[in-house]
Amino acid sequence: MTPTLRFTPTAWAKLLFLRDRGETEVGGFGISSPLDLLLIDDVRLIRQSCTSVTVAFDDQSVADFFDRQVDHGFRPEQFGRVWIHTHPGDSASPSYKDEETFARCFGESDWALMFILAQGGETYARLRFNIGPRASLEIPVDVDYRRPFSAADQLAWDREYVECVHSLYLTSQNPLHDPLQVEQPHLFEVETEDDWQDWLNFADPEPFATMREELLYAPT
Amino acid sequence: MRILFINNDGGGFADYVEVDPGTTVKQFFDQQVRTGKAINYLIRVNRQPVATDQVLQDGDRISVTPTKIEGAS
Repeated sequence: MTPTLRFTPTAWAKLLFLRDRGETEVGGFGISSPLDLLLIDDVRLIRQSCTSVTVAFDDQSVADFFDRQVDHGFRPEQFGRVWIHTHPGDSASPSYKDEETFARCFGESDWALMFILAQGGETYARLRFNIGPRASLEIPVDVDYRRPFSAADQLAWDREYVECVHSLYLTSQNPLHDPLQVEQPHLFEVETEDDWQDWLNFADPEPFATMREELLYAPT
Repeated sequence: MRILFINNDGGGFADYVEVDPGTTVKQFFDQQVRTGKAINYLIRVNRQPVATDQVLQDGDRISVTPTKIEGAS
């Protein structure tokens, strides 16, 4: 029998809400049911810097998340194995960067799962076992309506989004524009080719490498 | 002495382990995280980043978590 990644209706609604809340990708961890690790009870965001095509978790926030979950009595396999993020457009296929992160950050645990939800609704779930003979398989995704589930809490979801997601937008005036007006010392005025080069140098390498590459090769 | 260790590698771990007095963070990492590379982790003691030569104390809480979790489309 092929395993299936299942979301509770509440967790699925929250993920859709978070995907559609802003203009950028978002990411987080799935919280698994204690008796069924492929049933996602909740989706939790990590503090992150996002653009329309990238998402980068804050390392300290990941560690804080692990500490908090342990304090709440969860086991690491319940909260640290299902990596979730969204894609713009219609494709949920993992990028090279996604694959690199999945291998590097989740390749030492006994098992891990990468889940991607595209803006257009396509999903991608790959379960990988890193022990024994090792195996990796794409698995179906479903919403499980058979169990009791709690009501939506959009206010709390919105609060979590605002607390965690730091959106970086490109504008004609500022390549990196912070709509929340959080202190943002990285803004550049771009008027000349040299200005662009200054910004591209700044953007290399983390966490804007992908965006930098797109800008370098974007048609003018 | 006893240390609370939080780690996602292997089967995942969030429990107390016994370590010898005088054990440094680096020694602890090498003993407990045998297959991973230190550069891929954030190591914190009592929720604070630490130097690898810091000596662990009885009752410390040490976490080893992945870094640079990034996605792109």
